[in-house]
Amino acid sequence: MVVAMAIAAGACGPATEPPASVAPPGEWREFEGTWNATGTRHTISLGADRKAAVLDLTGTMLLAGKGRPGVGFRSEVIALSDSATGLIGRSVWTDERGDQVYSEIKGEGTAARNRFEGTILGGTGRYAGATGTYQFSWQFVLEAEDGSIQGRAVDIKGRVRPGQTEPGGVRQ
Amino acid sequence: MTRLRTLIKPAVPFAIALGIWFAPIPAGLTAPAWHLFAVFVAAIASVLIGAFPILTDAMIAVGVVVLTGTITPAQAFSGFANTSVLLVVIAFIVAQAVVKSGLGRRISLFMVSRFGGSSLGLAYSIALTDAAIAPAFPSNTARGGVLFPIVLSVSKGAGSNPDDPEGRRLGGYLMFCTMASLALSSALWLTATSANPIGVQIAQKLGVEIGFGNWLLAASVPALVAIGILPLLVAKLFPPRVGATPEAPRAARAELARAGPLSRDEWITAVVFAVMVAGWVLADRLKLNVTSVAFMGFGVLLVTGVLTIEDIAEQGDTLATFLWLAVLFALSGQLNELGFMSYAGERLATRLGGLSWPAMYVTLVSLYVGIHYMFVSQSSQVLALLGVFLDVGIRSGVPAPLMAYSLLFASSYFSAITPQGGSQNIIFAASGYLTQRELYQLGFFTTLAFLAVFLVIGTPWVLFVTR
Repeated sequence: MVVAMAIAAGACGPATEPPASVAPPGEWREFEGTWNATGTRHTISLGADRKAAVLDLTGTMLLAGKGRPGVGFRSEVIALSDSATGLIGRSVWTDERGDQVYSEIKGEGTAARNRFEGTILGGTGRYAGATGTYQFSWQFVLEAEDGSIQGRAVDIKGRVRPGQTEPGGVRQ
Repeated sequence: MTRLRTLIKPAVPFAIALGIWFAPIPAGLTAPAWHLFAVFVAAIASVLIGAFPILTDAMIAVGVVVLTGTITPAQAFSGFANTSVLLVVIAFIVAQAVVKSGLGRRISLFMVSRFGGSSLGLAYSIALTDAAIAPAFPSNTARGGVLFPIVLSVSKGAGSNPDDPEGRRLGGYLMFCTMASLALSSALWLTATSANPIGVQIAQKLGVEIGFGNWLLAASVPALVAIGILPLLVAKLFPPRVGATPEAPRAARAELARAGPLSRDEWITAVVFAVMVAGWVLADRLKLNVTSVAFMGFGVLLVTGVLTIEDIAEQGDTLATFLWLAVLFALSGQLNELGFMSYAGERLATRLGGLSWPAMYVTLVSLYVGIHYMFVSQSSQVLALLGVFLDVGIRSGVPAPLMAYSLLFASSYFSAITPQGGSQNIIFAASGYLTQRELYQLGFFTTLAFLAVFLVIGTPWVLFVTR
């Protein structure tokens, strides 16, 4: 148990990089990171060569770089994937304060073209009014016997511009 | 002093839970993940220090996390429908048929007649039998279901009963040896547990190709050395207090000769078990669910009257096991789903930057084993953390095959670390021969020994065979 507590303390201690700061409004800040996600995929066949799937994923996104909007987020994604037309999805990132970042995701989602792009649409709290983009690809996605899937993306790269501050200190 | 300790002990888990719960939430985690971690750690700590029985801890934990809105009731109770949890429960009940029918006594006499010269001989015979049958069983829980009735029968046949403070030691010794042996046999063969093929897929995505043959070659030396020292190590840690019994094999042979032909119930139990084992071995090929195979066998034993409703009613411990296992299984799973596990793994792994590759390798493997305290399933840790640790190791310069094999082997042998570290453990842990505290202590020291064997002997061997 002492081992587990020590491991947890090591994992949950302060970040080695400086804490994320809120950039001045209008300034683009770059970030990169990793995303581990778990969830379900429900697939239906649209003929011999076409498949559609609904994905429901949750996981942890850990960010690096001085411009990162936060050390990390709990991420939730719902998406519709069609082997003929690609993937569209929506994502919510939630930080330790409960502040959220909203984004849209588009991509091909096939083994050959495993690249996705996200557009940040704002959020709540310190992310209100934030805009930006990010890209990622899956390092692997595995499907278990029970239909659950687990994936990991390692090369998330993006940039974000914080929203304007309203009188009273709330960003929009 | 003792009275003071008695008063303080029950307060410790609550202090741990409240201390973590109200500590600042680490950046990057959400409140539900942090609060669930607080409750889970407190529950495990309570078992370890002997504050409350594991059933009490599990019931309080699930009540707290649901009533505080940390997780939903559906998430908290999902373990009650989990196939691995159900397989443990059914395998445990079905094992009683082996004892009740008299088949268990016959098996016990046979085992003692062959290997009963000493408790070490019995332990080695069980460990080697497990290692030999393991490649045919894709589920190590099912394999535990096969071995448990044998170990139970041998223990009872030798007069070792869970409620006898001194007499339970032989049974406890054999139970733990078998439980830890399942962890090692799963590391020896790629096909010995369902977590291994998942791990191989992850390794493949990161550029390491592993097949049945090269897995066996890489695992053979460290796994066989670990199997070789296991009965000796457990005998040191938990002496069975049964010395050499050279007269026992002859007495058992004579008793076996007097036992006569198989009775009706013995025949039925033997056939049902044989069909169940065949179903478990061929489950993948025939697309059978291993839990359903166990349910079918249980049903046949009830229909034929080998087991009766009264027999089930006497299995109160099984209900207690079902309750705590299902709850801990669900809570550990939710820690993963809420992102705590991957967060902790990723943060730990990335904090090690700057180490030389040998230091990074040893640290990553050791952390990967230690973090299994938080998991109630091998597969869930493989899915959540194997890719993270493998990726960080490879990026830090550790030879990719070495990192992959070491983490894959660890994904099996770490299951002995806690009684809930693998669902196959529960059948043995629930037998009542060992206290929860003893199980944790034995789990810690044997897993430490396995880690040392796989690092010290396994590392040069894997480097040699993958050069």
